[in-house]
Amino acid sequence: MKKFMNDPKNFVPEMLDGIARANPDTLKYVPDYNLIMRADAPSNDRVTILQGSGSGHEPAHVMTVGKGMLTGACPGDVFAAPPMDYVYESAKLLNSDKGVLLLVNNYTGDRMAWEMAKEALEAEDIKVDIAYVNDDVAVQDSTYTVGRRGVAGNFFVMKAAGALAEKGASLEEVKAIAEKVNSVIRTMGIALSGTTPPAKGEPIFTLADDEMEVGVGIHGEPGRRRDKMKSADEIVDELLEAVVSDLPFESGDEVALMINGLGGTPISEQYLLYGIAHRKLAEKGIKVWRSYVGEYCTSLEMAGVSLTLCRVDDELKELLVEPAEIAIRTF
Amino acid sequence: MTTTDQDYVEYVIRTAAETAIANEDYFCQLDSVVGDGDFGYSLARGFERLLEQWDEIDRSNPAAFIQKTAMILTSRIGGSSGPIWGTAFMRASAVARKHPEFTAQTVVEMIRSAIEGIQARGGAELGDKTLLDALAPMADAIEERAQSGASGREIAEHAAAVCSEAADATKELMARRGRASYTSERSIGSVDAGAKGVSVIVDEIAKNWPNP
Repeated sequence: MKKFMNDPKNFVPEMLDGIARANPDTLKYVPDYNLIMRADAPSNDRVTILQGSGSGHEPAHVMTVGKGMLTGACPGDVFAAPPMDYVYESAKLLNSDKGVLLLVNNYTGDRMAWEMAKEALEAEDIKVDIAYVNDDVAVQDSTYTVGRRGVAGNFFVMKAAGALAEKGASLEEVKAIAEKVNSVIRTMGIALSGTTPPAKGEPIFTLADDEMEVGVGIHGEPGRRRDKMKSADEIVDELLEAVVSDLPFESGDEVALMINGLGGTPISEQYLLYGIAHRKLAEKGIKVWRSYVGEYCTSLEMAGVSLTLCRVDDELKELLVEPAEIAIRTF
Repeated sequence: MTTTDQDYVEYVIRTAAETAIANEDYFCQLDSVVGDGDFGYSLARGFERLLEQWDEIDRSNPAAFIQKTAMILTSRIGGSSGPIWGTAFMRASAVARKHPEFTAQTVVEMIRSAIEGIQARGGAELGDKTLLDALAPMADAIEERAQSGASGREIAEHAAAVCSEAADATKELMARRGRASYTSERSIGSVDAGAKGVSVIVDEIAKNWPNP
């Protein structure tokens, strides 16, 4: 394993320190519970929105903290849900009169930690609620698992909920919009390589040169199947078919189309895939309203992408284009 | 000097902590077959914290001590292990509070209460390929030996043997909880990291059992 780091135990704290130092005017770092928070938080004018599953998915979630998006993020170690007291202490610190919305990606560990924190916060009369994100269509049989995983589509949930909170909406309204967005996003990912968590030191899984993992999870969880490498056209066909048929998205729908890089795939390949997906959606009569290409939710250095569709209406369009000031620098 | 209930509880928890820390890499390897490989890491960080605070913790009675253990583990272990192990110790402490003096049956009740807590927290059932599949047969084994009048050491050794066998038997099961569950049938053929972790700890506890 080759990584830029000192001690694996300090990987996450040193990353968070870097994010805070790079954004001194807008962000604050609270090392005791891995919290990256808006420097101007808490504010009683706005619902507090807190998220943070495992680290290793940057820019999600610590770099999507800022005006118009998350109030704070308190991730755990790489690919591990945060300990319960990170959530509890962060929510207490960021609590506002309007209440706290905990945005939770649907995984066993996250559900347990965030639900325990919610119980502890409620016991102290803090106004708090949870909204779940579970957009990954690769998980078909959810009879036994905790169900579909929350992946890149989470971006649209954070964006819409953050925009509405910024306008001063109530906790109930912000939770409702988060659930509405979750109900219209669908994602599927594909990996060309594994990924190496620093504390583990070796890849979670490996793929041969001519193999791909179809429906991969963002922690390297297996997807629907392992297959021989195919052309970009065939891969987009497969991702689109899985995603479109699931909601289902239909001719006449308007969508936001996201090609999300998982960390190790060049922008060139991401745009190549985007172009193909855009063309194929047009052939199906589905209109792309807005494009999102780049890294939104990664899996360390995994080569691969995910494709997300978010069906939009006037309300969502308005919220998704609201300005957000977050740590991802643009120029 | 006689060994008190508090001494036994401290021995068990300290051994669990030291074993989890010493086996960090091994537990990670177990978890990496179908999970995400951080089980050992998470557990070690929580138990390290417990040992760091050991001298300041209230150790005047088992219930208070086990409860503090639960709180430290819950608050500091990430992933799904923190809520699960913390809930288990929390439930055990509630049983301890009801019994000023321990018997083997008290221990059985503590383990069974921990099992119920884990089920309530994570939604797992027996046979879902989790640590429950090692804990439940172990509780039965302790109860059965205690009723036949075995000594503490004999009970501990038997519990370790049954636990180990049960942990190895998870190899045949399909994971239905936790991150390994996404692998469905691909999870068959490897032992469950949580069950094996419990078994390694119980083995160590039995090996150095302080009294006959």
